[in-house]
Amino acid sequence: MSKIDTILSQLDAISKNPRKAMEDFKAKTGKGAVGILPIYAPEEIVYATGYLPIGIWGATKKQILKATTNLPAFACSIMQSIMELELNGTYDDLAAVIISSPCDTLKCFGQKWKGKSPVIQFAHSQNRDMEASNVYMVGEYKCIKEKLENILGVTITDDAINAAIDVYNENRAVMRLFSDVAAMYPQVITPVKRHAVIKARQFMDKAEHTKMVRELICELMQQPVVPFKGKKVVLTGIQAEPDELLNIFEEFGIAVVADDLAQESRQFRTDVPAGNDPLYRLAKQWQNVTACALAIDRDKPRGKFIVDLVKEHGADAVIVCMMKFCDPEEYDYPILLEDFEKANVKNLKIEIDQQSESLEQIRTRVQSFVEMM
Amino acid sequence: MYVLGLDVGSASSKVVILDGDKNIVSSSVFQVGTGSSGPSRALDEALGKINLTLDDMKKIVATGYGRYAFEKADKQISEISCHAKGIFHLVPTARTIIDIGGQDAKAIRLDNNGMVSQFFMNDKCAAGTGRFLEVMSRVLEIDITQMAEYDSRATEVVNVSSTCTVFAESEVISHLSNNVPKENIIAGIHASVASKACGLAYRTGLEDDIVMGGGVAQNAGVVRAISRELRRPVIVAPNPQITGALGAALFAYDEANKH
Repeated sequence: MSKIDTILSQLDAISKNPRKAMEDFKAKTGKGAVGILPIYAPEEIVYATGYLPIGIWGATKKQILKATTNLPAFACSIMQSIMELELNGTYDDLAAVIISSPCDTLKCFGQKWKGKSPVIQFAHSQNRDMEASNVYMVGEYKCIKEKLENILGVTITDDAINAAIDVYNENRAVMRLFSDVAAMYPQVITPVKRHAVIKARQFMDKAEHTKMVRELICELMQQPVVPFKGKKVVLTGIQAEPDELLNIFEEFGIAVVADDLAQESRQFRTDVPAGNDPLYRLAKQWQNVTACALAIDRDKPRGKFIVDLVKEHGADAVIVCMMKFCDPEEYDYPILLEDFEKANVKNLKIEIDQQSESLEQIRTRVQSFVEMM
Repeated sequence: MYVLGLDVGSASSKVVILDGDKNIVSSSVFQVGTGSSGPSRALDEALGKINLTLDDMKKIVATGYGRYAFEKADKQISEISCHAKGIFHLVPTARTIIDIGGQDAKAIRLDNNGMVSQFFMNDKCAAGTGRFLEVMSRVLEIDITQMAEYDSRATEVVNVSSTCTVFAESEVISHLSNNVPKENIIAGIHASVASKACGLAYRTGLEDDIVMGGGVAQNAGVVRAISRELRRPVIVAPNPQITGALGAALFAYDEANKH
């Protein structure tokens, strides 16, 4: 097995088994993990405690039985599966759970949390472009820090958070580079493999992840660049799962050359700004977030942002991965569609449902789309 | 030279055979689709009519939900592309296609060369599809082929939900128990199907001519309801149920003539 295959297979294994990743981390450090629900949270504060921040983004093909007693049927499938898993006790080993409030379902999720782990809920500011936003966010993050200190019995110093920001910023930079390098080698970094490399970062010590991805990039760069005969796309949406969906892309010769997915590039698109006060730096990062359905932006730049991604990466089209019942994404879609049409960018909308077993309709859409291109 | 297009849908199986001049020399439709005896019966009938066998076909293209289940096909092409090709061949002025089949509905935008430039499909839901009409016809105890005739006698269009087939069915039962005339209920059912299809069609930009294909286009009540909703004339493709198979046969013709 080549070095590339070895690293890809290790990251794939981690992406598919977060519990093992958490147990390995515990065995190595003696410390546990803190769950982070979508979409944005100041993970660096958790990292500064020595605990592992671990992403909670639901699970594919999880049969929903009990979740509907606590959530309306029109809650998105990520939240349905998180609810089901928490009711089954899956998250009870977590030392704490941090929940942000960017959508109606998440807003109510803290009070509905049925797991045993303590919950820390916070809210992002809406008017992000004012300095008052930073003041408010510092207050929220201070509250998270104090709650974590109480729950975990640790003291979190400014130096530790600043050091965590450095680790995270390094990981963000490496991930942006990985995304660009992966686009050069679509025959090697298939849609499934690209997703696994990015997803694994949710379940790993970021320093360790950075090391592995950097090694992967070095190995990839030694490979010859072979012209790609298929179609290149940019993905947008909340997430592009399950793997079977990404395999359909591969089956029809589609490569993912960039993305605007909340679970993927939106997590590492920009670095936390420089500064001395770590909580203020993290607060400023919320102002950096742009082109996201969960962050208010009066200029509505997301469509143009995606069109620019298409141009920069020489992509043939955009695939909108619409999370079923995700209101913020659904509200953005008509605006995106108009922007794509104006810019003459080919686009396809597919519905993402973590619980779906049958992908035949998506197969038809993807095949038709490729034929159309 | 002969080529064959096979459209294995969810509710029916259709076959079209073309000769070397792109004339339809045989066709057949069986009202059972993928996973049933429909595809082989449709093939046997279409081939039997002109005393030919599959070996006489220079190329075979399969489309529809069950396109990968037919092993003898030289190629599988999606139903979006096939419906577009078939309808543009029959109606070269078509720029917007509304196709309602057994379990899905599609709106397709064509450019001046008949190429697909955008398309939208219904979400995973039976509302607004042929299956929806089948369910309603059973509840009403009226053959599906008679629904258009009932619709033409309606004096009022009653409200029937377009969000869920099961809820719509219970609404229809409620209307029946309130002695609402079946004619008016059926007009409501057709309006419900139309609202779903038009929701997709509006997204295409609605360039004329608007042409309907798929099995549901045989129901004049649905066509009227769509035309009423869009406030535009809607052309029904000749023999609309076989437009997908015709498109597949035309792709097979192109394959056979590739140099």
